[in-house]
Order: sequence, then C-alpha cells, then structure tokens
Amino acid sequence: MLSRTADHLYWMSRYIERAENIARFLDVSNRLSLSGGSAHDCWLPVLTIAGWPPQDGDVPAVRVISWSVLDHANPSCIHGCLRAARENAHAVRSVIPNELWEAINSTWLEIKRLDGAALREQGLTGFCDWVKDRSHLVRGATYGTMLRDEPFHFVRLGTFIERADNTARLLGVRGAGVTAESRSSAAADQLHWAAVLRSVSAYKSFRALTRDDITPAGVTAMLLLNADMPRSLHACMDAVTYSLERILPTAECTRLAGAAHARLHYGRLDQLLEDGLDRFVDDFVVANHTLGKQIHSDFLMAT
Amino acid sequence: MAFDEMKAPDGGVRAPYRAYENWLLSVAPDVLPRKLEQADEMFRRIGITFNVYGDQEGTERLIPFDPIPRIISAEEWQRVHNGCIQRVKALNAFIHDIYHDQEILKAGIVPREQVLGNDSYRPEMQGLDVARNVYVHIAGVDVVRVGADEFYVLEDNLRTPSGVSYMLENRAMMMRLFPDLFARHRVKPVDSYSDVLHKALRSVAPAACEGEPTVVVLTPGYHNSAYFEHAFLAEQMGVELVEGRDLFVADGKVWMRTTMGPKRVDVIYRRIDDDFLDPLAFRPDSALGVPGLLSVYRMGGVTLANAIGTGVADDKSTYIHVPEMIRFYLGEEPILPNVPTWRLEREDDRTYVLEHLADLVVKEVHGSGGYGMLVGPTSTKAQIEAFRAKILANPANYIAQPTLALSTCPTLVESGIVPRHVDLRPFVLSGETTTLVPGGLTRVALKEGSLVVNSSQGGGTKDTWVLEDEPC
Repeated sequence: MLSRTADHLYWMSRYIERAENIARFLDVSNRLSLSGGSAHDCWLPVLTIAGWPPQDGDVPAVRVISWSVLDHANPSCIHGCLRAARENAHAVRSVIPNELWEAINSTWLEIKRLDGAALREQGLTGFCDWVKDRSHLVRGATYGTMLRDEPFHFVRLGTFIERADNTARLLGVRGAGVTAESRSSAAADQLHWAAVLRSVSAYKSFRALTRDDITPAGVTAMLLLNADMPRSLHACMDAVTYSLERILPTAECTRLAGAAHARLHYGRLDQLLEDGLDRFVDDFVVANHTLGKQIHSDFLMAT
Repeated sequence: MAFDEMKAPDGGVRAPYRAYENWLLSVAPDVLPRKLEQADEMFRRIGITFNVYGDQEGTERLIPFDPIPRIISAEEWQRVHNGCIQRVKALNAFIHDIYHDQEILKAGIVPREQVLGNDSYRPEMQGLDVARNVYVHIAGVDVVRVGADEFYVLEDNLRTPSGVSYMLENRAMMMRLFPDLFARHRVKPVDSYSDVLHKALRSVAPAACEGEPTVVVLTPGYHNSAYFEHAFLAEQMGVELVEGRDLFVADGKVWMRTTMGPKRVDVIYRRIDDDFLDPLAFRPDSALGVPGLLSVYRMGGVTLANAIGTGVADDKSTYIHVPEMIRFYLGEEPILPNVPTWRLEREDDRTYVLEHLADLVVKEVHGSGGYGMLVGPTSTKAQIEAFRAKILANPANYIAQPTLALSTCPTLVESGIVPRHVDLRPFVLSGETTTLVPGGLTRVALKEGSLVVNSSQGGGTKDTWVLEDEPC
C-alpha cells in the first residue's frame, strides 16, 4: 500500500486514541476533585501529561478543561485531535470502510459545533463519556468491518502505540514514588488508585481478578503486566508486535517492538521497578517514541 | 415557454413520465420533502460534498440534490448516445491529427494559427504516439434540449471532466429512497461505469508494460473541489488514489512509494491539469505534480488519461469547428448539432452581438464553470454595459450564443414542484472501444428562470433515468 496512506491511517487512529485518553485523564481529575482533592493535585497532572512544564501556584480547573478540550492554541486538545483524525481519514477515505469514515466524520461534525457554553451545558462527565463513546464506535467500526490486511494493521499500530504512551504517562503522573513494595491501603490511597483504575475502565476488572485491597503496587502490576487488561502496556505491546509481524517480520521496528514486548512479557514487577516507577515510565516513553520513529522510517517514508 | 420534460404542450404528460406521474398522484404530498430531508442527511453523513472556491463559510457544501428524476426514453437516449460517441471519436481523431500530420489544418477547415497559437496546444505532444491512439479516455459532453427533437451540444469537456460520481451516488440514493419507483420502471443501470472505466484504462497500458497493468488515480489532494469524486472512483475501481508526492520517476519509469518499497505504475488517471503535471516541464511552482513525468510519458513508459494537450479540442474557439471535424474524419453528418455561435473577434459577428447583448449569452473562450459569463436576458443594464467594456477590451476572448430555452424538468423547491431548467452531461469512455453508460449527470438551475446550472452558481443535480425499451 501507499506509504502516505499508511501514514494517514496510523495518525488517524493515533489521534482518535489520543482524544479518548485526554477525555480519560480529564475524567479521573474530575473524579478526584469531586472527592475533595486539591485543585493542584487534581488538575495539574492533565497538563503534565500533555507535556507542560511544572506550574507553580493555582491551576484553575476551568482553564485546564478548556485548554484540553477546545483551545485552538493547543493542537493536541480534543477538538484538535478529532479534527486531525478526520483530516487523516478524509485523505484515505477510498481505503477505509464507509462505516469507519462515517463514524469519524460525524464525530467531527458534532464537535465542530461545540463551544464553551455547550460544554458547560453538557457537563464534563457527559462530554468525556461522549468522546469515549465515539472512540469506541470508531474502533468497533475498524474491528468489525476492515479486512485484516495492511491498512488494518497500520490503524491498529496507531491505536496501540498511542495508548501505550498514554497508559505509561498516566502511571508517571499518578504513581510517583511507587515501588513493588507499595502496599499502602490508606483510605486516601484507595480513593486515588480507584480513580486511576476507573480512568482506564479497569476498576471492575481489578475487582474481578483480586479480592485484595487496591494497592499502588497491585494497580501498577495490572497496568504494566496484565496482558488481558486491554489498556495495559503488555496488552498494547502484544497488539503492536502482532501487527508488525504481519506487516513485515524482518523490519527493524518489528525487532524493537519485540524487545520491548519481551521485557513486559517475561519481566517481574520488582525487576522492572528496581529504580522506581518514574524511571521505568521515562524509559518506556522514550523507547516507545523511538519505536514510533522507526515505524516511520521503515514504512512511511519510502523512497 | 421552454420545452418541459414531463408536461406535454397539450397539458398531458409525456410518455416517459407517465408511470412517474401515476406514482406521484398515489403518494402523500409530504413524501418528497421528507425523502429529500433523509437524502440530505445521508449525503452529509457519507461526506459527499464539494469545495467552493472563494467561499469563506467553511470549505465544504452539499451539492443540492433533487429527488425528482430526469427521465429519458430509450429512443431519445439512442440519439444522445450515438451523437456523443460520434462527437468524441471525431474530437479524438482531431487531437491525433493536429499532433501528427495536421491534415485538417492543411485542408483549411480549422485555421492553423487558432490551433497552434492556442495556450492549450502542447508542442511536447507533436509526433508523439499514444496507446491505441486514444487521447480522450474520459469525456463529458454537455447536452441541452430545447424541444421534443432538438438536442444541442453546448460544450465538450476533454481535460478532466467531473461529475460522474454524482451520477452514481444519485442513483444509489434514489434506489434507497424510492425502491417502489424502481419496481414500476425499467431503468437502465449505470453502476457498470467504474468497471468499464477500469477496463478502458487497463486497455491503454504502455506497450512496455508486462503482466497486469497497475492503474492509479492521481488527485491534487483533498482540498480540491472534486476530491470526493477522485476518492470515489479509486475506491470503485479498487486502485490506489495517489498524490504527486506519492509518485517518483527513476530508470525511465514511474513508481509509487509503498510500505514495501517502490511499485511500478503503468496508467495514471490524472485529475490534475496539464500545467501542474510536471514541474520540470510545465509550471515550476507546481507542488502537485511529479518531476520528470513528461519525459517518461514521451518515452512511452506510462500512459496518462486523458493525454496531455487535449484542451486544444474543447476550447470554445475550436467548438465551432466540431461539426466539420465529424464530416472530415468520419464522413458522417453530425447527429447532435452545435449551438449557433458568434465569435467576437470577427467584425461582423461582433457588431451583431454588441447590438443584441440583452438577448444573448456571452462566454469567455477559455472559461468554464459558469464563471465570467453574461446571460443577457437576466442581467441588468449596468451589468450588460460593464460586460460590453470587457468585450471591447479583448474581443477575441469571447464568443456569444443565443439564449437557449433549456428544457425544464419538475423540481422540488420550498413552494412545491415547479419547472426548472436542466442540462445533461453523459460520460463517454474510450479504450479498446468507445462507450457510454446509459445516463449522466443532470444539472438543474434551482433559481427560478435561471439558466446557469453549474454547482458553483447555485445549481443542483438529479438522477438521470434512461428507460428500457418497453415491449408494446
């Protein structure tokens, strides 16, 4: 297939996934603030994840929300992501199923009409749910209608490279100082980690898998290592290696992905967190970024 | 009174519309408006839009769709069909001739300076042989009707004619909205268009091509007004939709960049104008084209559809010679006549036209899309005077034609069903043979009394039904 087509498909799904994850970050901040967390603790991480330098003083919720959802100065706001996803989809609409195009296009048509007033009217929770619903619809259309050939795999690559980045960053800002021995079950910690689990739709799964208290180490283990949890790093790297093996087993990016996958597949929590969770997250984010660049040079910039 | 496609002068209903009228009388009056609403919603959802140049309001708009079909009998169609094929064959022969021996110039039928001095004449094409001698693989012939037996060709579109996606999508929409109507009529299907197109394109692969030819559609990109159509046709044919930056030239061949490395391209259905095809040969500032494409083309390494330089034959100054071309190359009488045309560079013509501006239509010789034209009867005195000044400044840039009373077709507007003027653009495909699918794009001027059907000027589209011959 055309390199440019692969590039558009890859970024189309990355932007949809990014929009969904911003909605998830906002949702967890909202939950924490409703449970009495300080504005600084609740809302600053949203900016940190998006790559803002550390802020002193107050971070007003309203500003964080409008910046993350609608601010035209922020190309990675949800509005900007959905527009970029739609532009990428538009450029390859002869390749993607109509259902997929319609799902992305109608999402854009809806958010195009959204302004601050409409957002207040709908409420943050309602809006975040809507973004997640649209992302589910897009993913469902992809999974339910696309032929399992190259275009499909580039769409999946975009989804899981982006998701891995987001799950890692979520742990980075919400799990500062966690080690394999973090077993605190203080009420505040329970609340904090329950919100983290809910933000990746993993609360029920956690409950189904374990009767233990929600502990920092338990949640971290799940989000890093549990291959059955669809937003864990392990599950993301399963999907990435699966698609790359089908695109081209001999590519350099396939090797990089395999190495990253092996670490999660065969690693133990205490080894991975030897130098702390922060260090692990930093390394993972860099490695994931390098993998993304390698995918570009292997497939998307052919000459 | 203009000829109406549905209502006969005696107040009855013309034969092709009889079954339709029975249906119309049998349904509730709000059926059409409701169906139209559904159609608009569906078109918007699947993103059938076009971009309007100069429109500040967002760049995309729906072309208004009218839910009442334009119906043509088998007999009427036969004439349009034969006339269009005849015309395109002659035009193709003309292009081949002027880029080879120029017999028609030698015979004095078309003035030499008019052809060789035309901006669309491409010296690069001189002496070049193209596959199967086909230059115009896709042609759109604009046909208008002014009476029961009076069809005229208004314009030939031989460069990158657009609109065929509306023919196909309008039909799909009509079948979705009105399945019962299709049960009552025997409408000839149009959906073979993309297969016929793909076959025609494969049949003109360069001689050097081994095995199954690789066909691509080359688009300027998604900001182009017809992007939807480019994507649609690529999808229907199952071929890649490429932009200039996806292609490159190496080893005397054209390649496309794929995830598995370069892949050879044999036939390019290009929807980019000549000027932008190759920045090394034509406009150096073009970012849309492929550097070196012309050199590969000239060496026979790739086929371009349509060929370079076809614009010399669809110019309005060439148009007036088409009936003579048909006689010269085919030895036949034209089946579809031209509209009488005055050329303002000729003094006699100019004098006449300037005296009758209020009754005539004046167009730029190289213009298209309904821009830069004067429709005398619907213009104000001031507009006419302003146009007179433009003509006097550069008479050779204009032609004039009588204001034809284009036929009308019942059309749904807010106040109900009213007659509106229509034209018809059938699409003629040439490869191993020359064919056209039974149908075309019917454009309708939605404003009362307006004769301008272009989508950029407030025109809409209708599904065009060609009926099967009814056994009596």
